Amino acid sequence: MGIRVGVDVGGTFTDFLVIDDRGEARVFKTLSTPDDPSRALLQGLVEIAESYALSVEALAGKIDTIVHGTTVTTNAVLTRGGAKSGLVTTQGVRDALEMRRGIREEQYNNRFTNVEPLVPRYLRAPVRERVDRDGVELAPLTEADVLAAAELFAKEGVSAVAVCFLNAFANPEHERQAEALLRKKLPGAYLSVSSTLLPAIRFYDRISTTVLNGYVGPKLRSYIDALLEKLASVKFKGVLLIMQSNGGTVAPEIVRERAAMTLLSGPAAGPRAGMFYASIHGLKNCITVDMGGTSFDAAMLRDGEPLFVTEGEIDRLRLALPMLDITTIGAGGGSIGWIDKGGLLRMGPQSAGAMPGPVCYGRGGVEPTCTDVDVVLGYLPPDEFAGGRIKLDVERARAAIEARIGKPLRMTVEQAAVGMARVIDANMAAGVRAVTVKRGYDPREFPLVVAGGAGPQHCCAICTELEIPLFLVPRQSSIFCAAGMLMSDLVHDDVRSVPGLLADAAPKLDAAVKEMIAAARATLKAEHVAEADMQFLPSLDMRYVKQYHEVNVGFPVGASQKVAGSFHAEHDRLYGYNLAEQKTPLEVINLRLRAVGVMKKPTFPDSPRKGGDAAGAKKGTRRAWVPEHQAFEEVPVYDADKLLHGMRLDGPASIDQANTSLFLSAAYSLVCDRYGNYLGYRRDRLDALPQSVRALTDQKVAS
Amino acid sequence: MTIDPILASVMQRSFKSITDEMSISMTRTTRSPILCEAKDFVTGLYDAQGNMLEQTENLPILSFSLGPVCKYLLEYFAGDINPGDVFFHNDVFSYGNQNNDVAAFKPIFLGQTLIGWSATKGHMADIGGAVKGGYNPTATEVFQEGLRIPPVKVIDRGKLRKDVWDLIFANIRLDIVPEDMRAEIGACTVGERRLKALVEKLGLARFEAHKEYLFDSTEKMMREEIRSIPPGVYKGEGKVFYDGRHPGSQFTIRVTITVKDGAVTFDYTGTDAQTNGFVNGTFTSSASATILTFLQMVNPDIPHNQGMVRPLEMIIPQGTILNASYPKATTFGNHLCPPNADAIQRALAAAIPARVCAGWNHLLCALTTGHNPRKKEDYVDICFMGLKGGSGAMEGVDGYDHIGMIDASGGLLDQDYEMFEQQTPHRIVKHELATDSAGAGRWRGGLGVDTEFIVGSDDTQLVTFGDGDVVPAFGLHGGGQGTLNVIELQKPDGSKYRTTSKDLVTGVPKGTVYRQHAGGGGGFGEPRARPAEQVAREVRDGVISAEAARRDYGVALVPGGFELDAVKTAALRKGAGG
Repeated sequence: MGIRVGVDVGGTFTDFLVIDDRGEARVFKTLSTPDDPSRALLQGLVEIAESYALSVEALAGKIDTIVHGTTVTTNAVLTRGGAKSGLVTTQGVRDALEMRRGIREEQYNNRFTNVEPLVPRYLRAPVRERVDRDGVELAPLTEADVLAAAELFAKEGVSAVAVCFLNAFANPEHERQAEALLRKKLPGAYLSVSSTLLPAIRFYDRISTTVLNGYVGPKLRSYIDALLEKLASVKFKGVLLIMQSNGGTVAPEIVRERAAMTLLSGPAAGPRAGMFYASIHGLKNCITVDMGGTSFDAAMLRDGEPLFVTEGEIDRLRLALPMLDITTIGAGGGSIGWIDKGGLLRMGPQSAGAMPGPVCYGRGGVEPTCTDVDVVLGYLPPDEFAGGRIKLDVERARAAIEARIGKPLRMTVEQAAVGMARVIDANMAAGVRAVTVKRGYDPREFPLVVAGGAGPQHCCAICTELEIPLFLVPRQSSIFCAAGMLMSDLVHDDVRSVPGLLADAAPKLDAAVKEMIAAARATLKAEHVAEADMQFLPSLDMRYVKQYHEVNVGFPVGASQKVAGSFHAEHDRLYGYNLAEQKTPLEVINLRLRAVGVMKKPTFPDSPRKGGDAAGAKKGTRRAWVPEHQAFEEVPVYDADKLLHGMRLDGPASIDQANTSLFLSAAYSLVCDRYGNYLGYRRDRLDALPQSVRALTDQKVAS
Repeated sequence: MTIDPILASVMQRSFKSITDEMSISMTRTTRSPILCEAKDFVTGLYDAQGNMLEQTENLPILSFSLGPVCKYLLEYFAGDINPGDVFFHNDVFSYGNQNNDVAAFKPIFLGQTLIGWSATKGHMADIGGAVKGGYNPTATEVFQEGLRIPPVKVIDRGKLRKDVWDLIFANIRLDIVPEDMRAEIGACTVGERRLKALVEKLGLARFEAHKEYLFDSTEKMMREEIRSIPPGVYKGEGKVFYDGRHPGSQFTIRVTITVKDGAVTFDYTGTDAQTNGFVNGTFTSSASATILTFLQMVNPDIPHNQGMVRPLEMIIPQGTILNASYPKATTFGNHLCPPNADAIQRALAAAIPARVCAGWNHLLCALTTGHNPRKKEDYVDICFMGLKGGSGAMEGVDGYDHIGMIDASGGLLDQDYEMFEQQTPHRIVKHELATDSAGAGRWRGGLGVDTEFIVGSDDTQLVTFGDGDVVPAFGLHGGGQGTLNVIELQKPDGSKYRTTSKDLVTGVPKGTVYRQHAGGGGGFGEPRARPAEQVAREVRDGVISAEAARRDYGVALVPGGFELDAVKTAALRKGAGG
């Protein structure tokens, strides 16, 4: 196996994780180039080549896989920088896109305005045609209407066209006809067709998703083409894979036409990475949290698998493709503290961002942020932050906290800082509850895997708030997502609507699954996946008759008759009851197929157990706030580079490494695993730790 | 006890996340589309005295409707409230707001000490009475409208009182209703578990002390908001048309608002007497309407707890259309919110011009019931998509298009067209923003919507309720008015029937075309001050016609195109003296 590279493009840095053929991992960082992110990728390869003393061509020749996460499409939507788009739809319903089913998310706020639609009304062309609810044609497609639309689009310089007709999930014929006409008349346009992208019932979901896909399509297509060209210029012969919102990867040729699959792919590699770190210790469930500069992402994994949703949103626009269930809240190092009119302290969601950044950066920030709090509370080293590249100005941070928070609340600087930390920790705990409790799980039963630059300063507080006894901080928590990319498989999701009673649909299910598998197999083959590495996972969206919300239930290929039993059990688990005894009929809505091309996973070299005391790694002390003692104390500071496999230490303590610091609160202890990751646990809850983790700690206690 | 203000912030966050979770539980488990799609329910937490800790209202007209009942339960069952109990209530003559809105209450105990309540109230798809679904335009007394549930205990110390349960549901038509009440109890249990865990962690004394602090700080915040309104006495009126029984009848809501010392009194003395139909409010539905309208004029981020309502006083005399006496019919009461809101907006429009919007489109709604031959089953559909007109414009912001009545303020969602065609026999023809429906203005009103579908089976029954078909949404400060609501049926033989606003039409044949126009909202400010380029864009988008652009906005376009004719526009605008 050759070299594998995971590349995560962030707002400030592009992170690389390189795993060579011996399994040795190296981390690289280069400044992002937001105008053309592929430049940073190439620049990174040049720097990596230098570090191996190779030419970039020589390095590229040795790389067999690059997995790449991109925010090109996400940014296009958030900044409204996508393609000028047109929409062709059934006459009478063209406003569905803009009306969004008539929701106003803030009901008490009369100044809250609707989202600007991605296609203005005059470019939403109505077409006379009609197919009924069962797919029977009621009126043929009026070609003249499509041609008139094409003419308008050409005149207006439209470069992406979405096609979405009523009931096309039941009969795609009219969409196919319109697509052919448009392709002929607008050869350069990006076409996004609902029955190809998302042949599922629910018109608003489909039209919104199809339009989003078209809107970001040209951007992604030209980005991928530029990237492939750059890689070809350095003689890269391996496979490039792109990260999708569903946590899987995909070949560039496929995602070019399904650009919407990447819309929420930013944090999508995180959960997979979390699972990898948890699985080292035999853990099958975990919660992953990633706290960066402006946002906090939380996700949950059960039985080694992340949870999915099919009802996502981006910037209040519905995106109905399967994606990882990740909750994002506005809480990060840059979150600003403020006082509302009632005198209550709030943190975020506004962030100081990278510019001006926290007050302590000394770049002109005046509003106190979470990072300012962390430096005042002694959780960050003022002189060695970011490997000494940024000096943190504690006095400036103290002054801002005092002026903006302390004085108005009649508190000392320290009291105010402690209060700000508690509020943001409570916000993050609420974010974790949202991904667990909402799904019927108790967060206390899940270890917390913590990533992101700001995560390690707050992990003990979040655990305390949620009563979670065990957390894990990867040694390289800042390249968490890049690592996750190398753990990901190729994934293709397909869906077909089969609305009706299960009893009526049942005889046709296995045959339909077979058809879907045939199509997915062809796709995987095109991505060079061997038959033995293919997995096909069918499932049904089902409900009791007359219910409105479905539960997704998997079943083995060729054994759809087992699905009813699984549904009753899943409904019971989620909502506390089932109606199996009453023999309530079951309804099905969508048949789904997930096709997976299993990729070879990198292995990391482990380290021999050093055991022994961590005392040798101690390098000094720092005055820090210890919540359990409600006091500032001189706490020991450890040098992360000297903390080795098996070494254990008790809180309160701080562990400083090049890019972040971990604060270990008084009730917690910590031990290093064989990959150098930190396992933190509550000393008074040893009983709650899994055996594998207890073994690691017990041995240390004994020696 | 020393108060830790941070703890109060954290508690407020926790309360909110608990009531949100209760709402998620309701959404995912209920069956009636009124609950799981339209979210016509509220979830809340109350302290041991029945004071509101927090709520998630979903549909604002239900806000503030649980607290008074909670206090009533405490009195009614004094000495007989035990761990594991569950109570039901809907009675409109003991603080209920509508017969169909049935609440479940669960007392929360720490050991044997009552520490609070969790509660859920939702609109049930049926509540017995003479007409399926509960809207009976011919009712004169509550007995013709539905079953009254003064508070009853349905679960006693964890044990279901089967006889009581069966008595209730023996009087209700649809079998989804008991399922949806089970969902309400489930949501209360979710709230109970979480609040109990929170109080256990904090200790009761700290919880109590910090709760009071939270109420006080919220009250302070509300009083600050009120102090930003110039003190004074303000008067306004709203009109109610047709009581469902006497064509041409009309009634007036009169409010006198006194702003003084950081408090507001809403006095409805002088409002017309109650009607002899079902167009009557209850104290609770009217008070909720008042609060929700006022809340839209203050900072939207104020926590929704007891402290927020303390500075608000409501005087709603009994025997008026807003607070009917026993045993008057009241099912229409929640829909008196739009005219009540009109009265409050008109009263305060001059005092706080930057915070009061022009008139919203009023509700006019149709409910179809019948047999779906394709699925061989009966169906009920409330045409949510058709009822959603535009909101009023305000300084700096156009009205919201297709939002629906102020009682819901955008919390009520359209049916998805394809799901609608699966679940009813009808077929959608049109659902589009309506051209020229918005009241003109420097800021225009929200657009209304045109809906058309073809009735798919014979013997369909249609019930309408609402108004907005006599007087359109009003404009403010020079802004124009919106359009009127209309529902019209065109039978296969070509004959047309325009429904009244409270109608019961039976035997509608298959192939009938149902057409509805939900009107636009009122405009704000002089239309000729609206940027001409913006008007030109809206003409291109087809939401304003070229004629209306010229007539209302003084904007002329180049003939045959959508480009602005700057010279003609300047002349038109000058000619108007604008």
